[in-house]
Amino acid sequence: MSPDAAPVFAALADPTRRRLLELLAEHSERTPTELAAEFRVSRQAVAKHLAALEAAGLVASVRVGRETRYRATPAPLEDAVAWLAEVGARWDERLEALRRHLAGPG
Amino acid sequence: MDVRREIVLPAGVGEVWSSLVEPEQLERWLASSVELEAVPGGRGRFVWDDGSEREAIVEDVEPEVRLALRWADPADPGSETAVTFELEEVDGGTRVTVTEASPEPSACAGEWGLALELRVLLAPAAIV
Repeated sequence: MSPDAAPVFAALADPTRRRLLELLAEHSERTPTELAAEFRVSRQAVAKHLAALEAAGLVASVRVGRETRYRATPAPLEDAVAWLAEVGARWDERLEALRRHLAGPG
Repeated sequence: MDVRREIVLPAGVGEVWSSLVEPEQLERWLASSVELEAVPGGRGRFVWDDGSEREAIVEDVEPEVRLALRWADPADPGSETAVTFELEEVDGGTRVTVTEASPEPSACAGEWGLALELRVLLAPAAIV
């Protein structure tokens, strides 16, 4: 597993953060204020979630004047999905080998 | 988030359990070299042909029902995952479900919405 995978999974474990990531993936850029309007949580809570997503490399921010605008940067998510697929394929192979082992003579 | 795969094997639960806990049997299907003490707190070591390795600590053993361990690449402790095997007697033999869970340090471990979507996307194989 890549060293960055654990923070990605931890960041995605929270449903609010998953929804934030979805919203950012659907629109090009959003401020914390705009995003907070979609939830019944404070702008500060949204900002904390965005910080966790940014630490995991899932979003990036840019200051435009007095605002901070966030956008999704999905590469770590793709890595996480790739990890899931790779580990899943490995277990499929092992379970097949288990089946052959149990089917064998003796 | 976790990876889950299952298979139904035409064998009794006792036979399948032995293949999960006896190193000589594990070497036939899981890894090329296996050391394992299948007791809570027991140690394990798995080495594969490609040179990769895992050192394991056994967490839970319920004979013929469940084997749970944590393992990691000794060169990369951050790679630790939790692996769980669950056995269930079914029509036709024994269902083996294996789960490998990515490290989940937070208290939000109950939220599996995305994991569920990704499992559907990755299409678990149930082979009979």
